[in-house]
Amino acid sequence: MTDPISLLGYRFFQYALLGGSVAALVCALIGLFVILRKESMIGDGVAHISFGGIALGLFLGVNPLITALIVAVLSVLAIGYMRRHGLAQSDSAIAVMLAIGFSTGLILISLAGGFNVDLFSYLFGSILTISTTDLLIITGLGLVSIVVVGVFYKELLSITFDEEASRLMGVPVDLLSNILNILVAVTIVLSIKVVGMVLVAALLVIPGLTALQLGMKFRDTALAAILFGVVSVVIGVFASAVFNVATSGVIVFTLVAVFLVTAAWRRLT
Amino acid sequence: MEKQPVIEVEGVTISRSGERVIEDASFKIIRGDFVGVVGPNGGGKTTLLKAVLGLLPRDSGMIKLLGTPVEQFRDWRRIAYVGQDSINFDQSFPLSVRELVSLGRINGENIGHRLVTEDWRHVDEMLEFMGIADLSEKRIGQLSGGQKQRVFVAKAMVRYPDVLFLDEPVAGVDPETQERFYMKLSNLNAQKGTTIINVSHDLSSVFCRMNRVICVNRKINVADIGDEAGFTTALKKAYGDHFHFVFHEHMCEGLFEDDRPD
Repeated sequence: MTDPISLLGYRFFQYALLGGSVAALVCALIGLFVILRKESMIGDGVAHISFGGIALGLFLGVNPLITALIVAVLSVLAIGYMRRHGLAQSDSAIAVMLAIGFSTGLILISLAGGFNVDLFSYLFGSILTISTTDLLIITGLGLVSIVVVGVFYKELLSITFDEEASRLMGVPVDLLSNILNILVAVTIVLSIKVVGMVLVAALLVIPGLTALQLGMKFRDTALAAILFGVVSVVIGVFASAVFNVATSGVIVFTLVAVFLVTAAWRRLT
Repeated sequence: MEKQPVIEVEGVTISRSGERVIEDASFKIIRGDFVGVVGPNGGGKTTLLKAVLGLLPRDSGMIKLLGTPVEQFRDWRRIAYVGQDSINFDQSFPLSVRELVSLGRINGENIGHRLVTEDWRHVDEMLEFMGIADLSEKRIGQLSGGQKQRVFVAKAMVRYPDVLFLDEPVAGVDPETQERFYMKLSNLNAQKGTTIINVSHDLSSVFCRMNRVICVNRKINVADIGDEAGFTTALKKAYGDHFHFVFHEHMCEGLFEDDRPD
């Protein structure tokens, strides 16, 4: 067993804690809007679409987070377009984009010479191997997301609660929906290194679901979601290092445990 | 003040799923009017209201809001609307009463800015005015039907709109609350000059409180409340010849005398 305190002296561990906390914070915040818009599936969809972007990056030899970001943003805009123009319902639009992204990824991967360790680190997360560049991308995108939500806080809340009423109040609903979807794409991509694309939807949705159990007003619910997300990631990072098990597994396991305990506590009190 | 039309509707026909819901509607609503929109269920009242707000497409005709064709209308700060289905929101949505009412202060000009102290002052005043100040930290899903209605009306009125559209705002609320609610509307109309367009099934409230009535049953008939014969004819056209509404000035007595707008 490793001494948890001595771990704090290692740079890789500091990077893991910092990058993980930023990703958890942004995921929890954006995720709450996503849940309330009843679009939880978009997280899983975008994560799978990003696979195509990651494969493209590995194929071209550029940082896969950058190509994943471009692919993810384009795909959420396409999903929004398909929905607005009646080409497909939200969930079927996501299914179509998911198929395109994942199949393209598989082709690119086989062209590039098959699966390797790099690819697995994106599939299942590899928070303990975050590079300085990765950390800069994660914190940079995280800060931008937080600022955008801060600036449009009341409008995002308004369109999440009632789109039609917001439109009649002069809120640019379509523009803000697009901005929110882009934030979802950004959030997913910046979290891929932390928990991997297979489990990233959990980081997006579970903190918000846990906070919603508490029955508080919006501001407090958002703060609670952030707290649940960040605490779960910190616990997960420590526990995985100490017991030498997969970090993303422990993070998501902790998220689910906190959710179940909160739900049980609410039912019992 | 000059009597400007706030709403102009001319020759408007609206179809939904291939069926004509509104046929050749023409009317004007003047600043300061307190208008009751009545008619049988399925007669097109909500459709008409939504079309006037530009929420529904129409086959033909012209609609102007505050002098501007509704397609080009951007001055949403001056308009407020409470839809029939407002209170059918996701009941677990995490919003306090005060948070929801504060969203009513959003307008085209403060997008991307925080609400300022003055906004919050208006929010608290309106909570007080609607008699829901003691509920301000409650979650909206926990309220009774009548309380929810009042919260949504507060959200609309906190904009201090020039024109207030209400689609059955007090349907399903107990008579006492309805009465207090209409008294507040009358005050708003009389003191602030707010033009109010109110869809209602309650003909006596329309008769006692409002100055004009729009009867909707595919065709539109408009009458002044003061013009008893015209009012009766319009009602019969909407509800059918067998319909009979008995006017008694004294039915408004006691209830409304003190604050009845003339």
